[in-house]
Formats: sequence, C-alpha cells, structure tokens
Amino acid sequence: MKLQTIQYYFREVIISMIRNRWMSFASIGTVAVSLFILGVFLILVTNMTKMASSLESQVQISAYLNDALTDEGRDEVETMIKDMKSVSKVEYVTKEQALKILQDRLGEQKKILDALGDSNPLPNSFTVTVKNASDVKKTAVMIADLYGVEEVKYGQDVAANLFDLTHLIRVFGFLLMLLLTGATIFIISNTIRLTVFARRKEIAIMKYVGATDWFIRWPFILEGMGLGFIGGGISAIILRSFYSAMVNKVASTLAFFPMVEQFPFLNYVTIGIITAGIIIGILGSTISLKKFMEV
Amino acid sequence: MIHLHNVTKIYKQNNVTALEDINIDIEKGEFVFIVGTSGSGKSTLMKLLMREEVATAGQIIVDGKNVNNLKPKEIPYLRRALGVIFQDFRLLEDRTVYENVAFAMQVIEAPRHIMQKSVNTVLDIVGIRDKMKHFPGQLSGGEQQRVAIARAIVNDPKIVIADEPTGNLDPETSWDIMDIFQRINAAGTTIIMATHDKTIVDHMYRRVIELEHGHIVRDESRGAYEKFGEKWS
Repeated sequence: MKLQTIQYYFREVIISMIRNRWMSFASIGTVAVSLFILGVFLILVTNMTKMASSLESQVQISAYLNDALTDEGRDEVETMIKDMKSVSKVEYVTKEQALKILQDRLGEQKKILDALGDSNPLPNSFTVTVKNASDVKKTAVMIADLYGVEEVKYGQDVAANLFDLTHLIRVFGFLLMLLLTGATIFIISNTIRLTVFARRKEIAIMKYVGATDWFIRWPFILEGMGLGFIGGGISAIILRSFYSAMVNKVASTLAFFPMVEQFPFLNYVTIGIITAGIIIGILGSTISLKKFMEV
Repeated sequence: MIHLHNVTKIYKQNNVTALEDINIDIEKGEFVFIVGTSGSGKSTLMKLLMREEVATAGQIIVDGKNVNNLKPKEIPYLRRALGVIFQDFRLLEDRTVYENVAFAMQVIEAPRHIMQKSVNTVLDIVGIRDKMKHFPGQLSGGEQQRVAIARAIVNDPKIVIADEPTGNLDPETSWDIMDIFQRINAAGTTIIMATHDKTIVDHMYRRVIELEHGHIVRDESRGAYEKFGEKWS
C-alpha cells in the first residue's frame, strides 16, 4: 500500500467521522461503556481468583478453643494435635496475642477496637500448620472433633465458596458481555452504514474509474477500527485510574486483602480492551459493507 | 478493440430480453454512435461493455479481455481501460474541479508526481483549467460535462463510453462538447456514444449502429441518425 494512499484513507476517515459526528460520538460512547463493564468484570474475576488461590494454598488451620477449657485440657488438645501425622507445627495463640495481631492488621483503623473497652471477645486458639495442602480438610475435621475445640477455620473452606462466587460472576459477566458486544457491533455497523450512504456517489464513481474493491473498503474498515480504538482507549484510561484508586484505597483500609499488583496487570487489561475495541469495530464495518455496498 | 459475438441479455427479474443475438466489431480509433429509442437496448449495451451487467449468452471482448469471464477482482482493471461519461455528469459537489478530476487518479493509486501534470493537461484539453478551483455548483451544465470528460480521460483510457453526454445541454454547448470528443478521438481513443441527438449524429457523419427492441437494425460505417436521413459532411 502506498504512502499517498494511506494518507488518503486517513483524510477520508477523519472527514467521515466529522461529517457523522453524532453517530461517531454515540459509537465511541457505546464501545467505551461496554468495554468498561468488560474491564470491571475482568478485574473483579482476576482479583477474586487470586484471593481464592491464595486462600487455597494456605496450610494453616485455626482451631478456636472454648473459653471454659482448663490449662490441662488445653495441653491435652495440643498433644493430640501434635500426634496427628499430617501436622507439622502447632502454635498456641492467647486471646491477648490475637487482639494484638488484629490491631496490627487494622493499622490506622484500630480505633474501632476502642469500642470493646477492656473486654476481649477473641478466643484462645491453636494455629496448626499442616505438611501438605491436600491434608488440610481431613485434619481440620479431626481437630474439630476434639473436646474443647469450639470452631475450626481454614482457607480452603472459604476458597471453595469464593471459587463458586467467581464462577457465577464469570458466567454472568460473559452473558452480559455477549449482549453488550452485540449492541456495540450493531451501533458501529449503523454508523458505517450512514457513511456508506453518504458516500454512495463517490463509491459509484470509484467503481467506474476502476478502483479495486479493497481500495473502496479500507476507509470504512479503518473508520470502524478508529471508532473501536478510541472507545477502547477511553475505557482503558478510566479503568486504569479506577483500579489504581481502588488499590490505594484497599491498601489503606483493608491491608490484608491481596489485590493483584497494578503492573503489569493494568497493561494487559489496556491491551486487551483496546484490541477488543478494534475487533468490534472491524466486525461492525464488515457487516455493514457486506450488507450495504456490493463491493 | 471491442467484439461482441451473438450477445444476448435477458433481465431475469422481469424476464425482459434487452438485447438479442448482437454482433458488433469496433476497431481501435473508431467513433461509433449507438442510436435508437428508449428501451431499444442502448444502455444495456453500455452496461455490458463496462461489466455493470453480465451477458446471458454470447461473448464480449473488450481490450483483449473476455468480459463475461472476468473474476470480480479483475473488473476494476477492465474499467481502467474505459472512460465513462454520463448524461447527469456525476461530479462530487463537495470537491473542486481539480479535485474531481484528481479523484479518478487517486483511487487507482496513480503516482502523485504525475497526478498534477495529468490533471492540468486534461483540464487544458477540455478547456476548463481557468475554473479548476470552482465547485461543480458554480459551473454551467456544459462546464460540468467538460469536467466529467476530463475525469473520464485523465487515466488515459483506450475507450471512452458516453451515455447521452449532451442530453442535458443546449445545442450550442452540445457542439462544444462534441468538439472535445472529436479531438479525443483524433488522438486515437475509441469512442462509443449513445445518443438521441439527431443533429449531432447527422453532422458528424460517423459510424452509426441503430438498435430496435434489442436487435441491430442498422450498422453503417458512415451514417445519419435515421436510415435515409440527409447526409452532411
């Protein structure tokens, strides 16, 4: 393709976008909104998956003890846990230590604990470390059966629920995306249809003087790509600032929540969103060209 | 240059036979008038030559190309050998005279350095270079047709096909236009012109092919609009 031809195409695309500025604006807006929603789902699913996996790989079990349990009873429980084959380490955490850990985690928000006054609702507990992640569930059940153990908590339990939820969000997001993609392709193809209509005279002359079909098609395809690219770009910019704001907020309030690092994650999201925009644009214009221009 | 052999065109939509068993040979450099009443098949003949329509039967050779067998990809290259002119000029209103003519070169990706020279040359040939910055709306009908002719010949076609080029023009302007066609023809370009204009055909005294209900009823190497019409030279 010649340089002068490429210049010609770009000039045509810009002229056309200005001529149909409201439709172009609507197309870009639709692409931006749809891809923003896609991006939000992407970020949500990625983070939840990360969270679930990090929980799943935890080999620690927390066994909360009944407050009424005597010291002898506690020693007995500790010995029994230590005797289990799958257990590698048992650590006793007093309720005072537990409160201190909680205060540390809350960081600046630890003031909310002032509401408790001098009382400490946290139980004494054992933090049990298991040798293999595959033994966590079995071991947890055994510990839960011991006398004096009130409750057992472990990551896999929470992880399973989180995975279920992630799956649900993924399915829902996918369906929503199909719908939005369809709508976006429709509106872009409509915009290109208007362009084709506005240029029907030019197209006829081009055909008479012997322009090739691809020469005629390219400006329309580029226009579709351009609309998709700009829409995708806008939504990527919004998503990036949205996510970095969220990461900062989470870091200062829920420090223990493991968010996916901003980089390179956001770069992947940006590339993905813009590529999706361009593909949607190409699809939209191709549909219109097939339908409304016999070239 | 152009050979039609037993060409028949039936429009499937309404089952109308527009042309039947047409045989025509046109040599390089000829000037041919196609005459006949509306519906005689003139326009269909033109459309077959440009491959806007495909013949139902028979063979059409234009500039060495078998027109009926062209693949869609090859049609643009057939059209580059043809310059087409219409009754209604078909200029782009939002472009200047110069841009309208240059457009025909742009879209076949002609090299830019020859573009300016070629456009100026053809604007000189049709005598409208002084108005090259005007828009079509600012021109008279005759001037617009000159621009259309300039656009048709700027890519140096071997054949010019003109469908009623003087149909919208007054007699005096028509003669100016015919004068341009004669000069183009004198330079070696084959010209095929469908027309209703009796005076022009009679005065030019060139080859005339008359169509009636899709048949050739007359093909005279030097003829008038009507079969026994008065001859001029």
